[in-house]
Amino acid sequence: MTWNFDILPDFVFNGLSLGAIYGTVALSLVLIFKATTLINFATGELAMIGAFMVYVLHMEQGLWLWLSILIAMIISAGLGALIERTLTRPFDPADHLPVVLITLGLFLIFNALAGDIWNYQVRLLSNPFGKFPSWVPGLGGDRFVMVLGSRLKYQSIGIWLTLALALFLLGLILNRTKMGLAFRAVSSNVESARLVGVHTGRTLGFGWAIASAFGTLGAVLVAPQLGGVNPNMMATILIYALAGAALGGLDSLGGAVIGGILIGLIQAVLVMWLGVVVFGQAYMSILQLAAAFVLILIVLLFRPSGLFGSRRVERV
Amino acid sequence: MSDDVFDEVGLVAKNLHASYGAVEVLRGLDFEVAQGKVSVILGANGAGKTTTLRAICNMCNSSGDVSLGGVDISRLGTAEIVRKGVAHVPQGRGTFPELSVTDNLLVGAYVRKDKEINDDVDRWFEIFPVLAERREQLAGSLSGGEQQMLAVSRALMSRPKLLLLDEPSLGLAPLIIEDLFTRFTNLNKETGLTMLVVEQNANLALDMADVGYVIESGEITLSGPADQLKSDPAVQEAYLGA
Amino acid sequence: MSSPLVVVAKGGAEHKRWQYVQYLYLAAFVLLVPVVLQPFEIGKMNRALVLSVAILAVNLVVGFNGMLALGHSAFMGVGAFVTASLVQDENWDFWMALPVVVLVGFALGILVGLPALRVKGLYLALITIAQATVFPTLVNIDELGIAKRTGGPNGKGVSEEVIAPSYFEWLPGVDGARGGSAYRYWCIILILGITLMLVTNYIRSRPGRAVLAIRDNEAGAAVYGVNLPVVKTVNFAISAGLGSLAGLMWCLDKGFVAGQDFTFLLAVDLIIGLVIGGVGTLQGSLLGGLFVVWVNDLTKRISIPLGLYTLNGDGPLAKAIFGLILILFTFFAPGGIVSLAKSVQNKLIKVVPLRPDGTPAEDIDSFDPGMESTRAQSAMKLAIAGPVLLVIGWLLMNVNNLIVGCVAFGLRFSILVTAPVAMLVGSNELKALLAGNRPESIKGQASMARLLGGLGFLFVILYGLWLFITKYS
Repeated sequence: MTWNFDILPDFVFNGLSLGAIYGTVALSLVLIFKATTLINFATGELAMIGAFMVYVLHMEQGLWLWLSILIAMIISAGLGALIERTLTRPFDPADHLPVVLITLGLFLIFNALAGDIWNYQVRLLSNPFGKFPSWVPGLGGDRFVMVLGSRLKYQSIGIWLTLALALFLLGLILNRTKMGLAFRAVSSNVESARLVGVHTGRTLGFGWAIASAFGTLGAVLVAPQLGGVNPNMMATILIYALAGAALGGLDSLGGAVIGGILIGLIQAVLVMWLGVVVFGQAYMSILQLAAAFVLILIVLLFRPSGLFGSRRVERV
Repeated sequence: MSDDVFDEVGLVAKNLHASYGAVEVLRGLDFEVAQGKVSVILGANGAGKTTTLRAICNMCNSSGDVSLGGVDISRLGTAEIVRKGVAHVPQGRGTFPELSVTDNLLVGAYVRKDKEINDDVDRWFEIFPVLAERREQLAGSLSGGEQQMLAVSRALMSRPKLLLLDEPSLGLAPLIIEDLFTRFTNLNKETGLTMLVVEQNANLALDMADVGYVIESGEITLSGPADQLKSDPAVQEAYLGA
Repeated sequence: MSSPLVVVAKGGAEHKRWQYVQYLYLAAFVLLVPVVLQPFEIGKMNRALVLSVAILAVNLVVGFNGMLALGHSAFMGVGAFVTASLVQDENWDFWMALPVVVLVGFALGILVGLPALRVKGLYLALITIAQATVFPTLVNIDELGIAKRTGGPNGKGVSEEVIAPSYFEWLPGVDGARGGSAYRYWCIILILGITLMLVTNYIRSRPGRAVLAIRDNEAGAAVYGVNLPVVKTVNFAISAGLGSLAGLMWCLDKGFVAGQDFTFLLAVDLIIGLVIGGVGTLQGSLLGGLFVVWVNDLTKRISIPLGLYTLNGDGPLAKAIFGLILILFTFFAPGGIVSLAKSVQNKLIKVVPLRPDGTPAEDIDSFDPGMESTRAQSAMKLAIAGPVLLVIGWLLMNVNNLIVGCVAFGLRFSILVTAPVAMLVGSNELKALLAGNRPESIKGQASMARLLGGLGFLFVILYGLWLFITKYS
């Protein structure tokens, strides 16, 4: 056993940036769950399609990266709203099976279409946060900065700032706009929302739109960590995000972010650092995903509503 | 036809039917609420009172003609009916538990586009000071009576022409019920708000109402001016415990 | 045909005859598979039947208990790997491994089900989807001898071949070229049959009724004293045990197991089979397995050139087609093939239940005696249509085009729908003949229908016999 504390900050930084990505995707899940108590199992594939849109716009068409991301997010939002309108609205939301089946069908379709168009090879996508921009004093052009004796990558900082900005904007939309108010009302009580004149369908479509945009953002941020984009890129990310959402409480937006970050930390610090580095158990690296699974079990066993969830969870 | 005459029509429901699956709950109700007046629908559990209100708002599988101020609203969706001036306080309050008290009121004004929304919020805080004290609290943490106050004021935030109240006395202490009904009466007297109240508490409801209807198994069995109904032996026996 | 062709009383002689027709079909199907199909086709049929058992397992949870389980691929995987290890490393017999495999699956089901089923909502779906994604990674762990037992990334083969013992060589198809796969087919049929019987009894038992009650009205069931978490968890564990059993059958059939075979995609296949077969019905589970394997096989042949791009079904798009079918069924036929078949059947034959006093609840309108002419006309058309469609289908089979091929396939199989009616008409005809009252019943079109129906009946029987005799060598 070697308590190698020197490299611990490395793992913490890595965990925090992975966690921020999980948190972003978890937000995408929770936005829809909060309003409908449904889990959109196509979240990951929708996000993957968004990442491929960025790939096409930026790598193939040569558009400015950030503009490509923005356009991809907007198209994803439209796609999300379209799916809500055409595929899920006709069904009674209290009956989970049909909508889950629809999202599973979409999962297959999106994955297969992407596989058919772009095949299953990993395709390089530029890192939005590769090197510090030139205006950062002393660091311009560097990939990392030394903090606590470890490398803090610009990529990690960029992911955190992006998540913070996205959360700030989401907060503004939900708390300061009429549509946001309507969305919170629908999430809280659909019948009453209808009774104050809210068009519940349109509002849910709006929720799907934001959720899809968030998913795309998460996929774009995770791509550099995976070496690029490929149709199966979100398969494991979705599980980590589900674990994060469950940990935070499936109906808590803040909980989703915190839960996601905690999952990232558990993965990097508990499993990788403690398991692999300290205890020298190499197979622990295979168990990263299993750890997320076990964590969901533990959460359900001891605190089914998660850390920040509310009344929605009913014991039976 | 002048606007005044037009307005006096209020709510008119003709041959209202509703069903849940194969079960027919309403079997052709005819009733009306005159402009500026209060009508009350009495009935036992399962008679179809709540369904009547839901049918007016097109929230269940219903057929028949419903018009408000002479305008047919029976084909509109719930959200559009609200825009025509109907406010509905559902059974069990129907507040938004995860929203703050202020947000509950604001969302009540969702269909309005004018600039006086914040003034109205303040006005309701004046009328119900207890709500003002809890304006940042989540609605789910309020007591039953406070929730009912919030539900009513939220409904009125839309500045409706017609207020539908579904058993406002349910689950409240007698003192609070009396206070609430006094407020309802004052609302009607002061602002001329048209109201349709569904109740089991016949005494209080008939005191406040101008016209009353009694429904049993989805059919109107008795109707007439409220004071007349109050002295009707059948009503006395069934609802007033006389 | 708006009104049904025949209206028969439940439990009556004609209803019984109709049921015999169905049993006859089933028996013919089961019997013909190992003698008519090529060995590789029998292999596919085996795979389909294995999936049917797995779908039946999913059905126990999704269809009968109303909970969403999306991770049975993992239970199958566990069953398959435990079997492979016991048979290969410990020299066990497959049949000895069976109880162990089922128990392991049951225990895992308790482990997963207990936390997830204490709370309402989609939590079981959430945990099972994670389980399905995690499982393939677990078989690669080197520690604890796991990789040694599972074969790690290379998978594990079972060298012991499943060969029919000499006293089972009389089974149709078992001797000769297709012996191996045919014998495995019979093993699978045996397990499937027993499983179906057990599940049917389970559903009708006291705990089974509690499971159904929870699906129909959870609060109501609780009020009547059903212990929700316990019943749900035990039901889920039984389903997991059944899933493991399907894994054992997989191993028995393929003789090789690998982690990549038991991914989330397999779990999705099971759900697709369940939905398309028919949620909550036993027949649906069987049909679902056949659908998943054979339709997948069919889509692989699609190759449509569209300019520079070729729409190629033999690749990722096969999954997209499945996804599309899943969505279409969810929208337009939520009851699956079973409910579609039922609605077709109801057009032909309506079974009227009996009142408590034993009289039918509606007027009975059978073929016997004497038919009104419109009904007779319909019967006749159907009796003619069957063989005609069959012949057209036959002729079209020679056209080398995928779409025409599919149409031909469909036409040939339409005989399966028309033949039962022909058989019903024909059996009446035979009965009349034997009773000696036939000459009187020959009146216009009714007698034509009888005659043609009788011929159709004979044709189907003879065709089946011919297939059996020529292929069974």
